[in-house]
Amino acid sequence: MTGLAAEDITLVDLVDRVLNKGVVLTGDVTLSVADVDLVYVGLRVLLASAGTLDRLERER
Amino acid sequence: MISAAQDTGVYVYGVLAPDAPSPPGVETVEHDGLVALVREVPLAEFGEEALPAHLNDREWLEVHVRAHEDVLASAAEASTVVPFRFGVICHDRSDVARLLDEHAELLRRDLLRVRGCEELGVKVWYDAPEATATDEAPAGGRAYLERRRDDRRRALELAASREALVADVHERLARCSVASVVNRPQPKELSGRDEQMLLNAAYLVRRGDEAIAREVASLHAEHAANGYAFELTGPWPPYNFVGEGA
Repeated sequence: MTGLAAEDITLVDLVDRVLNKGVVLTGDVTLSVADVDLVYVGLRVLLASAGTLDRLERER
Repeated sequence: MISAAQDTGVYVYGVLAPDAPSPPGVETVEHDGLVALVREVPLAEFGEEALPAHLNDREWLEVHVRAHEDVLASAAEASTVVPFRFGVICHDRSDVARLLDEHAELLRRDLLRVRGCEELGVKVWYDAPEATATDEAPAGGRAYLERRRDDRRRALELAASREALVADVHERLARCSVASVVNRPQPKELSGRDEQMLLNAAYLVRRGDEAIAREVASLHAEHAANGYAFELTGPWPPYNFVGEGA
């Protein structure tokens, strides 16, 4: 199986993983951004822009 | 002289097994057999206040989310990587070592769990076939009510059969995998598609294992005529199979 080129991966799919999943480590040694619900911010941006949806449509 | 440490932080992409090659252009911090993939970043962009603000900028978001994925995908191609969520940033390299030390148990568990594996994404889409309109006008109030009742019953039956199909699809795919996670389907506003997303799942498989791809192809052949479409993405770094909740 061949991997998808990065350009072929939709931004929503990326945000869904990169901002939503993966290890989150917090503590004294990290900046507190890790506590922020980043995926909420990211997805809200995608929703806020109608142009994004058009572009995502074309990318598929 | 101004200390550079005040202006920069160290962004952590993820953790590699000790013997793994690190992707080009990325630095590493090694501690006790754990290797963190890192990059120095300006706090003007990645600081506690700046980062959430930048995420509100779609262009910035896209560039940096893709960069995060690119580093991890390139590491995952060569070896086992435990991907971090976007935005884990330490003050400096010695703090990265402390981070590895504090969370060594979890990181070793995750490295072991995803060793030699990759993640595949499968989505099931449903596009309702055009409703078959009955031409004949209802004869009267009673006939109208009966038709409404029939329509409602048919809609419920269809919903139940879609649910059963999705459960069956997931079961078949899960049998081809080491582990699986079912995520919430993306709403149409996010997916940008007219079809309804019925399943949004991730499967952890042995690297290069094509069983899921074959299964997806045969599912497509079985169900495409009824309005179902199957989409396979990946291989991804195993985002869905690491961390506290995994």
